[in-house]
Amino acid sequence: MLVDLVQNTIEGLANGSAYALIALGFTLIFGVVGRLNLAYGATIMIGLYAGIFVHAEWQAGWMVVAATTLLGSVAAGIYVERLCFAPMRQGAAITAMVASFAIWMQLEEVATLGLPRHSYPFPPLVTGPAIEIGPFLLRREHLFMLVVALVVMVALEWLVRASRFGLALRAIAENPRAARFVGHNVERSLFLAFMLASAVGGVAGWLIASTDQQVTAMFGMWATFKGLVAAMLGGLGSLSGAVIGGLLLGVVEAYALWTFGPQVRDLSAYLILFLLLVLRPGGLLGQVHALRDADTRRRL
Amino acid sequence: MDSFTIGVVSNIGMMSLLALSAYLLLLVGEVSFGQQAFFGIGAYAAGIATVLWGWPLMAALLFAAFCGSATQLGVALPTLRLRGFYFSVATLAFAEAVRIVFELFRYRREVDGGLAGPDGEHGFRDIRYIYDNGIGTQDFLVLIWTLLVLALIAFIVLERSRIGPRLRMIGEDDVMAALNGIDVVRCKLAASAGAGALAGLAGGFYAHSVTYIEPGVFNVMLGVHTLAYGLIGGLGTAFGPLLGVLIDIGFLESFRGLSQYRMIVFGGLVVLLLILRPRGLLDEIAVNRLAGLFRRAQ
Repeated sequence: MLVDLVQNTIEGLANGSAYALIALGFTLIFGVVGRLNLAYGATIMIGLYAGIFVHAEWQAGWMVVAATTLLGSVAAGIYVERLCFAPMRQGAAITAMVASFAIWMQLEEVATLGLPRHSYPFPPLVTGPAIEIGPFLLRREHLFMLVVALVVMVALEWLVRASRFGLALRAIAENPRAARFVGHNVERSLFLAFMLASAVGGVAGWLIASTDQQVTAMFGMWATFKGLVAAMLGGLGSLSGAVIGGLLLGVVEAYALWTFGPQVRDLSAYLILFLLLVLRPGGLLGQVHALRDADTRRRL
Repeated sequence: MDSFTIGVVSNIGMMSLLALSAYLLLLVGEVSFGQQAFFGIGAYAAGIATVLWGWPLMAALLFAAFCGSATQLGVALPTLRLRGFYFSVATLAFAEAVRIVFELFRYRREVDGGLAGPDGEHGFRDIRYIYDNGIGTQDFLVLIWTLLVLALIAFIVLERSRIGPRLRMIGEDDVMAALNGIDVVRCKLAASAGAGALAGLAGGFYAHSVTYIEPGVFNVMLGVHTLAYGLIGGLGTAFGPLLGVLIDIGFLESFRGLSQYRMIVFGGLVVLLLILRPRGLLDEIAVNRLAGLFRRAQ
């Protein structure tokens, strides 16, 4: 019983590190632009499908596949940014979100038209027997993923807190108009932030796909939902929150799977998201009241 | 009319009802990604009513509208205080949860010597009321469009009454509306109840028109379309969503060569329109101009 509990927690943390990686990109965009990019999962999917394509057509090795995945994600991210976010910078956040929603469906259609099979094999990265610690099993790929998630989190945290670029991003997040007045090129910084987030997404997608060793047509939706739930759990805009939210979601899902089966696992993710939004819209680490007050004051 | 045309035209009617439900919420400034859930609830409710309980069609449709309305009201109560995209994401999560509940939902009973009813992920087969009772697809088409026209008339009456401007004012800025003495919460709840009823009714029609429903139909793809119809067609008048549906189903889906690339064209169209005309083709300005032209012509 206790062994099962611990083993399920380990599996949950393993899956959770994938969620955390995706959530990092989500939260990065939200933190800077204050907007939700619902096409994020589809962006990653385009990258993965590009990787699959070079793998299937030219038997490319893992390095080429990784590079293609990354480039594909960034290219798709640029497409999304140019179409959904750049033209609506002055407009409402909702408009951008709806636009990204439409683009999500468009990108998914492009991917499935290009490679119509339901699932494709993806070259693995780390192989080898699972690590045994006493009675518990931990796959090497999962451990690797968790480490990468933490490294990416620390790197992004450093970038946002300590670098000049991060300072510009924080200034823009605080007040885009003031940032423009003091001479920041807001458009350029936002564009770069978007590319960075897409690159993080590309890394996340590549790691997840090479762990699963396959990609299905459901990946775009899966990534968007899990990333969204994880990012919202931890509080949108918080990098460490994204990692904590991802791990938490993974563990909850693992327990739900263990107790009730696979359909309830997916159901639990949506129910958590719904309840969270109703009860604590700012996430577990968020500050919703401050946000709401500021919003009201601005409009009065 | 041949059966293909009847199918397309009834589809346009049903989708227009569904698009009107998203439009009603857009009027009060709420972007719902979850109308497909209430559409699905209506479809299941109407199917269960006619197949398992032996209700007449009209009662079943009424029941579908009631179920849609009641659930949307139930969702609206806790979520309406959420702002902007928090509401949208909450509705999206709710709709996906509902879809999975449909996959788990089994309610089988013996009807006429065979098992009938929703069977989890295998869907709900043989909702054959209109075929068993000699209602032709053409009659059913007339029924759908009668209710659509009634709904449109209701919208036009609403827009011309004092309620229409109130709803639009809330959509523009709810704090301002509240300061002007409008009961924002009550208006939004009423809009939600209406939207749920429209979606449920459309679902009831849908279940009986296709005779087979499965959980996968009520996915987010349907949600995007529902929402996008109003955004493409325009938020200035209730004919806007209808125009959106006509563009999508009447034009994109009905041409064989285009239907494969439907979502690509449609997605691009939505984004272009959001950039160029944020409130759709028939936005408030266009509607005002058209009304002016119409008056001068008289």
